[in-house]
Amino acid sequence: MASSSKASDSSQRSKRSDQGMGKDAAAASVVPIHANLTQLIRQVQSGRLAYIKEKLEVNRKTLQRHSCSLFDVAAAAEVASRGTDGGNALSQRAAERQCGSDLANGIGERDVVSVQEENLATGTLALSSSGATAQRTIVRFVKLPLVEKIPPYTTWIFLDKNQRMADDQSVVGRRRIYYDTVGNEALICSDSDEEIPEPEEEKHFFTKGEDHLIWRATQDHGLNQEVVNVLCQFIGATPSEIEERSEVLFEKNEKHSGSSDKIESRLSLDKTMDAVLDSFDNLFCRRCLVFDCRLHGCSQNLVFPCEKQPYSFDPDENKKPCGHLCYLRFPQWREGFKEMHDDGLAGGATYTMESGTASQRVDVNVMYESEDSNRQKGNIRSMTLVGTSGSKIISSVSAEESTTTPSADISETENVSSDLPPSSLRKHKISKHGPRYREHSPGKRQKVFTSDISFEGNIMNKLSIPEIRDTRLESRESGGDKLRILDESTKKTSRKDMCGESPATTMENVGRQSNKVSSTKNFLESTLSCWSALERDLYLKGIEIFGKNSCLIARNLLSGLKTCIEVANYMYNNGAAMAKRPLLNKSISGDFAENEQDYMEQDMAARTRIYRRRGRNRKLKYTWKSAGHPTVRKRTDDGKQCYTQYSPCACQQMCGKDCPCADKGTCCEKYCGCSKSCKNKFRGCHCAKSQCRSRQCPCFAASRECDPDVCRNCWVSCGDGSLGEPLARGDGYQCGNMKLLLKQQQRILLGRSDVAGWGAFIKNPVNKNDYLGEYTGELISHKEADKRGKIYDRANSSFLFDLNDQYVLDAYRKGDKLKFANHSSNPNCYAKVMLVAGDHRVGIYAKEHIEASEELFYDYRYGPDQAPAWARRPEGSKKDEASVSHRRAHKVAR
Amino acid sequence: MAKLGPGQGLGCEAAEGSLVPSRKREYKPCGKHTEGKRPLYAIGFNFMDARYYDVFATVGGNRVTTYRCLENGSFALLQAYVDEDKDESFYTLSWARDHVDGSPLLVAAGSNGIIRVINCATEKLAKSFVGHGDSINEIRTQPLKPSLIISASKDESVRLWNVHTGICILIFAGAGGHRNEVLSVDFHPSDIERFASCGMDNTVKIWSMKEFWLYVDKSYSWTDLPSKFPTKYVQFPVLIAAVHSNYVDCTRWLGDFILSKSVDNEIVLWEPKTKEQSPGEGSIDILQKYPVPECDIWFIKFSCDFHFNQLAIGNREGKIYVWEVQSSPPVLIARLYNQQCKSPIRQTAVSFDGSTILGAGEDGTIWRWDEVDHPSSRN
Repeated sequence: MASSSKASDSSQRSKRSDQGMGKDAAAASVVPIHANLTQLIRQVQSGRLAYIKEKLEVNRKTLQRHSCSLFDVAAAAEVASRGTDGGNALSQRAAERQCGSDLANGIGERDVVSVQEENLATGTLALSSSGATAQRTIVRFVKLPLVEKIPPYTTWIFLDKNQRMADDQSVVGRRRIYYDTVGNEALICSDSDEEIPEPEEEKHFFTKGEDHLIWRATQDHGLNQEVVNVLCQFIGATPSEIEERSEVLFEKNEKHSGSSDKIESRLSLDKTMDAVLDSFDNLFCRRCLVFDCRLHGCSQNLVFPCEKQPYSFDPDENKKPCGHLCYLRFPQWREGFKEMHDDGLAGGATYTMESGTASQRVDVNVMYESEDSNRQKGNIRSMTLVGTSGSKIISSVSAEESTTTPSADISETENVSSDLPPSSLRKHKISKHGPRYREHSPGKRQKVFTSDISFEGNIMNKLSIPEIRDTRLESRESGGDKLRILDESTKKTSRKDMCGESPATTMENVGRQSNKVSSTKNFLESTLSCWSALERDLYLKGIEIFGKNSCLIARNLLSGLKTCIEVANYMYNNGAAMAKRPLLNKSISGDFAENEQDYMEQDMAARTRIYRRRGRNRKLKYTWKSAGHPTVRKRTDDGKQCYTQYSPCACQQMCGKDCPCADKGTCCEKYCGCSKSCKNKFRGCHCAKSQCRSRQCPCFAASRECDPDVCRNCWVSCGDGSLGEPLARGDGYQCGNMKLLLKQQQRILLGRSDVAGWGAFIKNPVNKNDYLGEYTGELISHKEADKRGKIYDRANSSFLFDLNDQYVLDAYRKGDKLKFANHSSNPNCYAKVMLVAGDHRVGIYAKEHIEASEELFYDYRYGPDQAPAWARRPEGSKKDEASVSHRRAHKVAR
Repeated sequence: MAKLGPGQGLGCEAAEGSLVPSRKREYKPCGKHTEGKRPLYAIGFNFMDARYYDVFATVGGNRVTTYRCLENGSFALLQAYVDEDKDESFYTLSWARDHVDGSPLLVAAGSNGIIRVINCATEKLAKSFVGHGDSINEIRTQPLKPSLIISASKDESVRLWNVHTGICILIFAGAGGHRNEVLSVDFHPSDIERFASCGMDNTVKIWSMKEFWLYVDKSYSWTDLPSKFPTKYVQFPVLIAAVHSNYVDCTRWLGDFILSKSVDNEIVLWEPKTKEQSPGEGSIDILQKYPVPECDIWFIKFSCDFHFNQLAIGNREGKIYVWEVQSSPPVLIARLYNQQCKSPIRQTAVSFDGSTILGAGEDGTIWRWDEVDHPSSRN
């Protein structure tokens, strides 16, 4: 050890001394590196053995303690039972049976060979042993009475609704071993001939031991090509991976020595609206109105309807105050609000603060002090602020230049509006800074920076607080103050992060920024209370939903956070700021709500893009892309049509030729983004008498269930109206074509089939064409179904059901009782694929009148080439005893 | 749920045992007992009751037989139970104990998928449990609550039963369940809520019934029909381990570690590191390997003595390897070999103190080895 370390020392020294000397010296040092690494590896390995030994020892002790206590309990029970009669029932019996045998002497020396003879006729078993002394025991069998077996099945989970297959359930590209009990052989099912996806060049995962090796090697010899090459021989990773890893390790160790983890710990203090809404958008299914929908999956394409339901805006006069802090109770606010609402375009913009806000000022001061005490944090924040707002200014400057009248007022509001656009804009800006940060300090600093993204809103607001103390007259002075502070921090920042920029520009930035900051502050002064990013986002959402109704926004979205008056206050000022935007853009539009909606939409689009990328690592993933090949087929009415999977299009307004729905040949549904007047939209039915149960109903004719949202007279009501629920429309018209949707199925019983295996039975009598129930299952791709089908066919049981061009239903492990309905060429039921609210589902209907507790059959309608021999007689055959008893004898082929 | 693979590379190596016998304990062949022509699939000592530590049972064909292991190297036949269905082929047995009167129960099941509970004190069939959709490959008893048994079946499920009331309490299958026959199960020795299962889908799964323990308690006091019990499905295991790349046909807990074997001529000892808060996550660390030559067919099971000091496993050629299972690196105690024994030994049984080792052969023979000069003071 000592010698080796010496060798490594010398090699290290030589390395350092003649780094530029050339390759000879370097090559010479490879040998000691090699030896040293071998040594290191041995160390690691022996360390591992010691670790295992220690672990096992600890485990042994706990296990022993446990088994001893278990034994103690058993022993105590034995002692307790010793006194009683029949305490040891078995040994007594054994003693009886051992009658007359003399086993005392020396049997141990020779083998005891005993043989049993079964005598089935007498029901006895004779045991004869040949040893030193022969003995014979006769025992009468105890018979285990026959219990009727149940037909075989694989354990399955009940599904009341189809589910899309989870990714980890796929058998495509996986090797499976199937044991054939009949042929008595193991079969390997794999896609060796076809598309087994080549295992991707997996990134090497470095173990602790390897980390140690790399760390030590680079510490001893420095990081250079020779060391890396030698390391490659020991670790199965590419040189670049090793280099990368050593850098990571270097940083890690640095980190351990320094205390830089403080900033990271603040990472998840608060969530912004974006993050919250992102999980909502990704996890909430807008079609099923549930989170984590198993049918449509996570991360669906977001489709926003182009038509929004207008929210009626009651005039103030008709409204009652929503509470004691309602804006309606403050006449001056009411005035201001009204003014803003009525002629927002005028946008005077110079709102001087009224009185009656002193108390709030005190509030703010307190907050300022607390901020002061948190100097450290503040510094960090202001640093980032400079970094980010600096870039913002650049953009705002260009905007300013485009304005024709750069008056103080307008620049002020301009700044505000540049502040207000949602975070997507900011994020974009910040991401520009990203690379710059990274150049200098990978990892650490970047984290600071990302953490601040979400806080930026807070920062802005917090920074504004000091300014609020100042009156407008002092603004210049405060600007100077600010300048000083900012100057300092900017210097820091510029030193660290803005090396590329000339100091002049930086200074200029700062100057302009201080200007901007102070004016921003002045403006924000008027809002007086601190709005966090989340609150502001919630407010904007509220605007989107309720319009400018501070009562509803405060109550529904900001309850507990902001009062109505605060919302109105914010809206008032904010609205004024918003009102300027059209001016600057030289567009004439007075509707604030629309403007803000615009913002929201921009924001949303950008956000989902950003988060989608980040969200890719989610645990629960579903296949989204189809594996099938969608073919455009005309929908025919002969009942044999191939259905096409529907997915909502995101077309705005009218669907044109490039609409994905039209392209695939599906109708647009209510989930599409297009407007109600879209020509491709299915219009539903207007049936009045037929109960939608004949082909006269356009829905029925198109193999669709009626949809109360679309059809005119198809309406769901719950009850007779006595509880105040809405009464059915259309004079009590009852649609008979919504059974799947409303889950109005019959009671199905599971029992032993009269034909083979299990069967499905109906509990109550039904009439012709009555809906019995749904055939549910896992939705799998056709490719997946081919693979699974190979195994199912061997097991003589298939639960696959073709659904549409993309999906096949597999009820093998998940489904409902109807999966047990048997095939018959003369059935009493039929299956039909129906489009229910955009999803294809399989309904089972009565083909004729069926009496109570009759077994259900339907025609499986196998394709001409795929009808298996067992189609008419599913499983149930007895297994050959010989094959069963030998079944384990076979080696599994590999 | 994601399968977890073992860590690989430097610093993750397993300690592998050497095949040179240490001869720490010497065994001598002690005769054979031919039961019949049908293969014996299982053999097991009764560890559930201190009174019956010398009693063992075998299953083969449609017969379950109980014996007593005599000191002199022979067996006493206690009773034979024969299923009236000639086609039945029992695959597994497990001893249990009635929690009321403490009578020894023998639970056996096989190709019919019907669990037979035999009361060995009264020598009568106590109960039969119908419910599994296919043959049953293994049954184990919870040592801390000897009226709870767990069964592994070809129907891809594992089920928990209360032997006393005949209730199927829980079914472990579904979204995260096995995707082929379940071949083996084992209760955690001290954590009563935990067990491991493995099977033909090449995985070992660790399950917890913590959230469902209410139902276990409920099953003891259930007086209505067993079929009316609200049996629950447990769909997600705590951990899915991809330690092997072929059928996993036997798994046993060794304290908090797991011993499992596939058809790769070795038994693997590994540590499952589960995360309490986030099921499905964790890691696998392979600690030790116990080579077993010629052990490449499936349905060969190993067993340990009461204190888990010795592990015995048969192989395809009728040899039995006895490992000192808890030493590191593992030490092979003995290789037991009998000239006459040529057919595979499917299952072994190690007596309470490890002094007797039994092997159940496919040729329908029980092979017995006794320790030479076994110090009686060892007890």
